[in-house]
Formats: sequence, C-alpha cells, structure tokens
Amino acid sequence: MRQDNGKNLRGMFLFPILILALCASLLLVISKGSTDISLSVVYGILNDQIFHGGMGLKEGLWARADYQIIWNIRLPRVLFGILCGAGLGLCGAVMQALVLNPIADPYILGISSGASSGAACALLLPIPFFSGQYQTTIMAMIGALISSFLVYFMARFAGGGKLHPVTLLLSGTAINAVMSAVTGFLIFIAKSSESIASVYNWQMGSLAAAQWSTITVPAFGVCLGLIVCVSQSGKLNLMMMGDEDAAALGLSVKHFRAGMFIICSIIVASLVSVTGIIGFVGLVVPHVARLLLRSSNNKFIIPLSALSGAIYLMWADSLARSAFRAAELPIGIITAFVGAPFFLFLMIRKNYRGQNG
Amino acid sequence: MKIEFRDICVDAGGKKILHEVNLTAECGKMTGIIGPNGCGKSTLLKTTLGISPMEAGEILLDGASLAGFSNKKLAQLYGYVGQDSDCVFDFTAYEIVSMAAHIRGKTSKKSEKEIVMNSLEQLEIPHLKDRNIQSLSGGERKMVFIARAFAQGVDTIILDEPTNHLDIKHQLFILDILRKSKKTILIVLHDLRLAAHYCDTLYLMKQGKAVYSGSPSEVLQKDRVRQVFGVEGFASEKEDGTLDFHLQMN
Repeated sequence: MRQDNGKNLRGMFLFPILILALCASLLLVISKGSTDISLSVVYGILNDQIFHGGMGLKEGLWARADYQIIWNIRLPRVLFGILCGAGLGLCGAVMQALVLNPIADPYILGISSGASSGAACALLLPIPFFSGQYQTTIMAMIGALISSFLVYFMARFAGGGKLHPVTLLLSGTAINAVMSAVTGFLIFIAKSSESIASVYNWQMGSLAAAQWSTITVPAFGVCLGLIVCVSQSGKLNLMMMGDEDAAALGLSVKHFRAGMFIICSIIVASLVSVTGIIGFVGLVVPHVARLLLRSSNNKFIIPLSALSGAIYLMWADSLARSAFRAAELPIGIITAFVGAPFFLFLMIRKNYRGQNG
Repeated sequence: MKIEFRDICVDAGGKKILHEVNLTAECGKMTGIIGPNGCGKSTLLKTTLGISPMEAGEILLDGASLAGFSNKKLAQLYGYVGQDSDCVFDFTAYEIVSMAAHIRGKTSKKSEKEIVMNSLEQLEIPHLKDRNIQSLSGGERKMVFIARAFAQGVDTIILDEPTNHLDIKHQLFILDILRKSKKTILIVLHDLRLAAHYCDTLYLMKQGKAVYSGSPSEVLQKDRVRQVFGVEGFASEKEDGTLDFHLQMN
C-alpha cells in the first residue's frame, strides 16, 4: 500500500529472513529425533531426491536406513507441520478480520472442534459413503461447516440480526463446548478401543499420522486457501473497519463473510482430519506477524502469518517428538502452553473493545 | 446526486424506530437532520448502506431505487461517515484513507498516492499519515474518516454527527469544507447553532417521524423547538443575513 514510510521495507526484509529461517528449520528439524542424523546427510538426501531422482541412493552414497527415516518418515511429517502451521496461521488472521476481534481463531470459534467431531463420526460410526482418509476429511469438513453456520446464526440471533464481535466469540465458545461434548459422547458409545484411542489422540493434536499418502488433501486445501486469502486481503482490510464502514466502502459484507468462513472451514477441516485439534496457533501467529510488521495490513499479514505459523509448528512438533524420549507429547499441549499465556498477555496489553460491542 | 427517502419504516425488536419518514436531500445542498437522542436519525442514515432491513419504504438515488444497486456501485455514488467509525487494528491514517481509493476503479500506484494525499491535504492532516489510527485522538480519527469519504471521489457524502469529538475550531473547519465542496451533503447534527448556520434545509425528527421540514428559519421556530426538544430556543437572522440559534438557559 504505502511506499515511502518504511513499512514495506520492513516487509521486504521480513519475508526473505523468514523464508531462510523456514528452510534452515526444515533441515535442522529433520536432522533431530530419536536418531540424530548429520545436516550434510539430510541436505544430501533431500537434494538427491528432489533434483537428481534418487541417483545417490542407487549409487549407495548413503545408508538406506537414513533415507527411510529422512524421506519417508520425517520429511512428510515436517511438511505436514509446515502446512498445518501455515493453514492455521492464515485462518487465524482471516478470522480475526472477519469477526473484527483480535482474539479469534478457528479453535476459539469452534470450527476446529466441529471438524473434530465430524472426523470422530467417520471413525466411530458406520458411515456408508467413501472410505479411509477421504471419508474422515469430508466428515470433518461437514462438521466444520455445521459449526461455522451454527456460530454465525447463533451470533446473529443473539445480536438481534446484527453480528457483534462479542456475541460471535461467545457463540463460538458455546459451539466449541457442544462439539467437544459430541466427540466425547461418540467416544463413550464407541465399541472399539483402538478407535477410541485415535479419537482421544486427536483431541490433543498430533502430527504422527502424517505420511506421503495423507498429505495431498491438506496441501491442496492450504495452498488454495492461501491464494484465495491473499487475493482477498484488500477486502479483509475493509472488514477490519466494521460492517457499516465495509459496506459503505463497497463490500457485500454478508456474502463475503460467509464465503471466507467456508474457505477457512475447508482449510481447517483438511488439517484437523489428519492432525486433530491444535489450539491457539491461529490466535498467536497473526499477532506475532503484526508485532513484527507493526501493521495490520492483510496484504502482508496473511502471507506472513502463514510463514511464521509454519516455522512455529515445525519447532513445536520437533519439541513434541523429543521432549520425552519414551513417548511422544501431543503437540496441542505445547501450543496450549505457549498460546494460553499469550492470550492473557494480549488481554492485559490492550483493552479490547469490539467495534460494536 | 439527489437522495429521496420515501415512507421509510424500520422496526427493531418489535419497536418502531422509523415510521413513514419522507426526506429529500437536494443536489449540491446541505440537508441537516436534527432531533433528540433516540429519534431515529442514525437509523435513517444507515438505511442507505443496504445492510439493515427496512419494513417498508424506498430510497431513490436520482430517481433510481437504491435496492437495484450493488454495494460497490453505491460506494461509487456516495460516501458514508458513521457515528461509530473506528478501528481496533493497527492501520495508519494513510492506509485507512487508501481503502477508499479502489472505489474509483483501477488506479496506478501513483494516482492512489495522489488521491490519498489530496484528501489528507484537503482536511489539513497530511502530518498524520504515518500515525497509527489507534494513537490518534477522537477528533483526529474523525478527520481521517472524513478524508476517506473524500478519497472516494463522490459528489455526495452522508455524515452522522461528524462534529462529535471535534473542538469548536475543527467543527467549523469541517462544515466549511463540506459547504465549499458543493457536494450533496446529508448530515446529522446535534448543535442547532451549526445546523441553523450551515444547512440549506432541515428535517426535525421526533420519535421516528420527520415532524417538520423546511429552511432552518422555518424549522427552528420557538414553538417547534419547545415541542420537540423541550427547551426554549429559536433561530433568527443576523445582520449579515446568516442565521443564528438562540438558546435560553436558566
């Protein structure tokens, strides 16, 4: 937007620095784990697989075990972390603009738990259509969309036909509780202990299910979401001025908000169906991006949130894998430990007042 | 652009907020709406945004029904400065004003900058351009939002109590700018002295109805002011031909 006041300069420095940090983190995180592998081997195997079609492996330049660990186990997981962090970060930024409240994210607005209960239905109930991951993803999307619509209409009803930021957050909290209860009930009536364990894992969030075979749908969801959200960043800026001002500046507020909620639900569902609920990422990351950029301009904040979210979740997952050698810590615990105090810090730092609330 | 409100009825929570309001803002004139708190002035202005449902009535823009226009088209026809315009996010004054620049259609980066700077200069606030909107005073914020309406490049502006938060010098400054702009202005004012001096036509509202309309000297008669506001006051002509409002205070 502005060319002459240093903000763009800040962005111009931040993007290359964060992209470098992302690449460096990727190598470092892949090298760390139950067996540490040297960075040069990690780089060599990735370079060989991506640019030389695996010639080095055929020539026996590195051990097959290292290749298995790096290429088939850790890389898909780290890429999944990147997708997950980017997706949740950008959804957080978008939702904060949509509901005009800096303390909104897919978790707080109940969309994550909606997706989770949809996915739990797929895992625990006999659903006649589709199967495997597609069934889980589709059910998660349905759950997320139901949650979004319930939150939206409850908030409108409570606000007497208008959408107040505070009522939106409150109805989000209510739907979050209801959807978590639905998941809990499904676990209660389920017969298989294996399914119960996997649903339980989900409520805490984990990237352990990440494999090459499960990465396609989330990759598609996040990339498409990123493109759409960046292209709509100008309109998201208008939304940040409040419904009346946004309408006065030419935006069809209702349709735009509904459309963007659907897009966020699809992104979140594509992730939650594999990873479960990872809370607070969408809340923390856009704020860090705004602090770094010292602006709320979505043209920069959305890609910056995606980038910082990717780096954040990659390291959070690395910590989840390595904190306790014997067992893996659910990543949701780490993001909650970081996110909840940050949430408090935000409330103390600023006296949040909703635009209309 | 001429704006006509015809038989506007708005209900909220089972209560009638506006009841068959008729009002016309003539082209190039300043039309003022006055009335006690809660009489429906702001609700009437908000009907022009097309986001609050009306029970009955019609708004005509140069004779064409508002319902037939998209929000984007409406933003090309008139600007709106709300009573509650504010922002809880970190935008600079420049960024806020530039949000209106897209309304003019495809503009190059340079012309966007020109549009924004011209608007800021018109309101004599170019020094605020890099300031965070949240660090500005209420009055400064108001000036930024009025600059944004100017940046839309429209010939009609609707303003809801734009003089709120402004000191007396800036109240006069804003109203002078609006009058000199020769735009069609539809404005809600609380200060009857300013309304008498600046407006070409006044509408006096009470309990959701436009009870009197006409020139300020017609509307601000002693008995009418007493009936609507419950105070003693009247407009009278000064030596230079302009109107002043006299309020009797105990």
